[in-house]
Amino acid sequence: MIPLLLVFLPMLAAAAAYPLGQREGRGINALLCAASGLELLLALSLLFIPAAAEAPGICGTGLHLTGGSLRSVMCVLAGFMWLMTALASPEYFAGARCNARYFAFYFWTLGALMGVFLAADLLTLLIFFEIMSFTSYVWVVQNETPEAIRASETYLFIAVVGGLTMLTGLFLLYNACGTLELSALPEAAAGLSVPLRFTVGVCLLVGFGAKAGMFPLHIWLPKAHPVAPAPASALLSGILTKSGVFGVIAVTCSLFSGAEAADWGRLLLVPAVITMFLGAFLAVFSVDLKRTLACSSMSQIGFILTGVSMGALLGGHGAIAGCGTVLHMLNHSLIKLTLFVAAGVVYFNVHSLDLNDVRGFGRDKPMLKLAFLSGACSIAGIPGFGGYISKTLLHESIVEYAEHLAEHGGNALPYHIVEWIFLLSGGLTLAYMTRLFYILFIAPKPEHQHQKHGAYMSPGTASVLVVGGLLMPLLGSTAHLTMDRIAAYALPFMRMHPMEHAVHYFSLTNLKGAAISITIGTLVFLLVGMKALTVRKNGAERYRSVWPKKLDLEDLVYRPLLRLLSRVGHFFARLIELPGDRLVNGPGMKWVLGLGRGLARLIELPGRWLVNGQGLRRVVGLGNALARLIELPGEFLVNGRGLRGMIDLGTALARAAETLGSMLLFTPLNLIFFRAERSFAAPEDDEFSRYTTRSERGRVDRSFAADLLCAGLGAAAVLLFVTLAH
Amino acid sequence: MRSLTLLSVLFPILAGTALLIWRPGDDRLRNRYALAAVFAGGALVLAAALCSFRFGADAAAFRVGALSRHLVIAFRPDGPGLVFGAILGVLWPATTVYSLSYMEHEERKNLFYGFFILSFGVVVGIAYSANFFTLYLCYEFMTLSTLPLVMHGMDGAARHAGRLYVLYSATGAALIFICIVVFCRYTDSLDFALGGILDPALIKGHEGMLRTVFVLAFFGFGVKAALFPFYRWLPAASVAPTPVTALLHAVAVVKSGAFAVMRLVYFGFGCALLRGTWAQDAALAAASFTIIFGSAMALRTPHLKRRLAYSTVANLSYILLAFASMDAQGMQAGLLHMVYHALCKITLFFCAGAMLHHNRFEYVYELEGLGRRMPLTCAAFTVSGVALIGIPPFGNFLSKWLTAAAAAASGGWAGHFGPAALVFSAVMTALYMLGVVVRMFFPLRTAPALPEDTREADRLMTGTLIFLCALLLALSLLSAPLSAWIGGMT
Repeated sequence: MIPLLLVFLPMLAAAAAYPLGQREGRGINALLCAASGLELLLALSLLFIPAAAEAPGICGTGLHLTGGSLRSVMCVLAGFMWLMTALASPEYFAGARCNARYFAFYFWTLGALMGVFLAADLLTLLIFFEIMSFTSYVWVVQNETPEAIRASETYLFIAVVGGLTMLTGLFLLYNACGTLELSALPEAAAGLSVPLRFTVGVCLLVGFGAKAGMFPLHIWLPKAHPVAPAPASALLSGILTKSGVFGVIAVTCSLFSGAEAADWGRLLLVPAVITMFLGAFLAVFSVDLKRTLACSSMSQIGFILTGVSMGALLGGHGAIAGCGTVLHMLNHSLIKLTLFVAAGVVYFNVHSLDLNDVRGFGRDKPMLKLAFLSGACSIAGIPGFGGYISKTLLHESIVEYAEHLAEHGGNALPYHIVEWIFLLSGGLTLAYMTRLFYILFIAPKPEHQHQKHGAYMSPGTASVLVVGGLLMPLLGSTAHLTMDRIAAYALPFMRMHPMEHAVHYFSLTNLKGAAISITIGTLVFLLVGMKALTVRKNGAERYRSVWPKKLDLEDLVYRPLLRLLSRVGHFFARLIELPGDRLVNGPGMKWVLGLGRGLARLIELPGRWLVNGQGLRRVVGLGNALARLIELPGEFLVNGRGLRGMIDLGTALARAAETLGSMLLFTPLNLIFFRAERSFAAPEDDEFSRYTTRSERGRVDRSFAADLLCAGLGAAAVLLFVTLAH
Repeated sequence: MRSLTLLSVLFPILAGTALLIWRPGDDRLRNRYALAAVFAGGALVLAAALCSFRFGADAAAFRVGALSRHLVIAFRPDGPGLVFGAILGVLWPATTVYSLSYMEHEERKNLFYGFFILSFGVVVGIAYSANFFTLYLCYEFMTLSTLPLVMHGMDGAARHAGRLYVLYSATGAALIFICIVVFCRYTDSLDFALGGILDPALIKGHEGMLRTVFVLAFFGFGVKAALFPFYRWLPAASVAPTPVTALLHAVAVVKSGAFAVMRLVYFGFGCALLRGTWAQDAALAAASFTIIFGSAMALRTPHLKRRLAYSTVANLSYILLAFASMDAQGMQAGLLHMVYHALCKITLFFCAGAMLHHNRFEYVYELEGLGRRMPLTCAAFTVSGVALIGIPPFGNFLSKWLTAAAAAASGGWAGHFGPAALVFSAVMTALYMLGVVVRMFFPLRTAPALPEDTREADRLMTGTLIFLCALLLALSLLSAPLSAWIGGMT
């Protein structure tokens, strides 16, 4: 239950912070302190009750959370950092824009960070890690200056690419061994092939290392930390980078064991050492207060990662490296809290972070001076402060491994070189911190330095500085009582046996390392910091920026590379789609259509010639001719003499037939009836003679004679026919 | 209950046809009619889905009639069908509400709403079809009924888009037709059956030919799912009014293609015939390649709607990749991604539409600093954009994870190419979505100021956006039970 509360309580607080943060006042300040304080209390309770919890069903497999060991320590540390920055925030954000947004994302990130530390399986870890990346993006971009926007973009890009690389690694791992539970992984991963384990390890290292600020993925860090608001810088540098380190530790101790662990340690050592040295080297040349601190963070992360890799090299007996790693994480968080909050005090008084503008700011401010000094001494590894203890442990682990190698006949030279780079980086740390201290608190003030009216810091901010400043010497002087116990509590997470014997921190051999570093540091400070980088003119000092602006990994390599990749990708995509494109949109389609049309023309050409051209006319003509030929006899018959002749013939025949018929049929009847009529009619009633003329009468008589003749002939013919028939 | 299934297909078709005949002149009257019709249709679709969910698919099946022994028209909302149906039943009404505001000043609204309502029924027909013949019928009819929507603008670009759409769809249909004919030869019934419908006795000795036919049909249905090289119509179709682009070209039409591929693989040819053969490799490779291609194109496309269209090209191939892995997990992953991608992409398109409609913003570089003027729209864009990338709390993460796992489990070079393509595409998605989101809220100082009259979208639009975002978040929180339920039906 407690782990779930730790994760989801801040998310609720985020929902409340947005409306409350719309206007300044007690409400939001109370919420900031109350919620952070509650978180710290809950985290503290986790130290004593290592509870596990589960939120089933969310994101497919559900969220698995568990407390205990290093997880609890990191949760307490996170809660503490949040409470401290909550105290310093009201003053810093007074009068600033978009506070509500900042405070909402402030809590949201806390919840996600708790989730990262409490995650019992890698998928849960990834989920919270991604949420954290996105919500902390808003911190970086908060000021919305062009630099902030550019830096935040880099941050987001690195976070996204890192997150997806991690996802790839997790996918490979899950595909191969079917579990992502951190407690079950060592056994499950032992069965995997070595190349696969290293592939997965490198994928996860890219993701976690990007967040931690490991070379070569550190590019976002020196840019993002300076542009964020100071409390956010303290958190980004102090605890968010640790989430990456936490992940690297989790990967190291759950994926690798035995001989592979040593290989993995060697692989990890290279970027770790480069980060360690490069950060310190860049910090020496920086002329910006927060950038110096950011580069310093990078360098310290390098120290911590060196510890992780030494732990892997030493195996189960690497407790000394493990303790050093955990304690340096703790120390670095506290140191950066103090230093960044102090930088915030400088910024909201002077409104600048350029060392030329802020020099001499703290000459008359003893509290700020002491707090800063405490942080500087601790980070530089001055005996008596917390940083000395952890650095001594880390140094010892390198020495121990080199000795171990020499005893077993291995080549210890690389580790002696690592040891010297370690001491050199420690020296550079001292050099740049001394330089910052000198510039802020000893150098003369410029004439027109901006200064806030009234007190230069609020009681809340002051209390943060006091707590941070006091804790470091307190922890450093009671190392056996406090720090050793914390380290011993955290060791089980790293699967290491407890230390066999307590380390004598103030023995001569251990002090020797610190002495070498301090000597180097003093020399660098005097020769480089005070001579080469400082110009004195008329009693005033000016700090030169000699680092060439163009020499920037991001601008030189990453951005051009990304642009190139995007162009190349687009080029090939276009190239591939070009044929289709040409076919559909461009001349290609025209060609295809043209070809089709040409073919169609070719096919239709005979027909077309036939229909439109001479062909048809000829065909028609031919047809016509044929038709004429066929119809000619008919026509001749119909129109010409033929018909007339035939008609004449027909007529003649018809006449003949008619004459014959009438002769045969009617003449006898006519004859008989006419005669009869003539014979039986009264002479006076002779209508016939009355109405007919003489000539008519004469014709009748003639026709009568003809009739008679015909009848006679006809009768003769019939008789003849009948006779013949018989 | 049986008639409910038929009604959910038939009612919108009739209602849409009625509107086309009626052609009311009064805006309010038509809007009310369209709302009522689509909501009633949505209710019917969801009711049918619920029936099938509660009482089983057979209880909701409806056989309309048969043209021959094989050619049967029948509807049966089984598991995958009701998932698709439920997506349509929720998103179609939401789009109608949105388009009330979006289409306010457009012309030819009778035509628009008529075909809009009509195509609802047709697409539901695809979701609920019981056999390949019905599926094919509805599929063809969908091309025809959505064409007037694509060409709504009736200017040169719209006509060009319509021409491409028909050209490509016809090509696809030809390939599918081959498959249907071959099916008739090798099986007794075209009814979907999990595990395949081909008669083992008949196909003996013809496996090679059948695999070739599968690849042809895969590309044939892939036309609608914008598979390379048949994707071209989709970016061109972004000239259509936003409700159409959002609903049809991110959800309905394109998901129909993916859905039909699922039917083809799991309910047609059957995994046993295809798994581990060159046909599977070809399908996996085509999908993976399209994923890379679509993402790479989206990154360098400054026109917002076209960028989203290219993103759709890539995301549809996620679904095809899942189905092409040809095992139970692949089907689960593909259906799950259908749900989540539908919600994300429709929201993104609606946001783009709100920016376009109210402020005439079309290109991503015009959106700098819009977050302050259109806070709700930009917030919705951010939520759905982050979900689209597949950042863990969102359901898209789970579906992509399952897709990658299924593809990797299918083995072979193509199987491992798939997850690699997914990771590449996730990086690209992050770049092309976050590039827009970041600039919306944090403009560069050098960017030109927004016009004075830039304003937030009206209540109908923002309401729809809020509803969809809430739905997306709720389903993301419920991703485990949802994926378990979908996994149970395979």
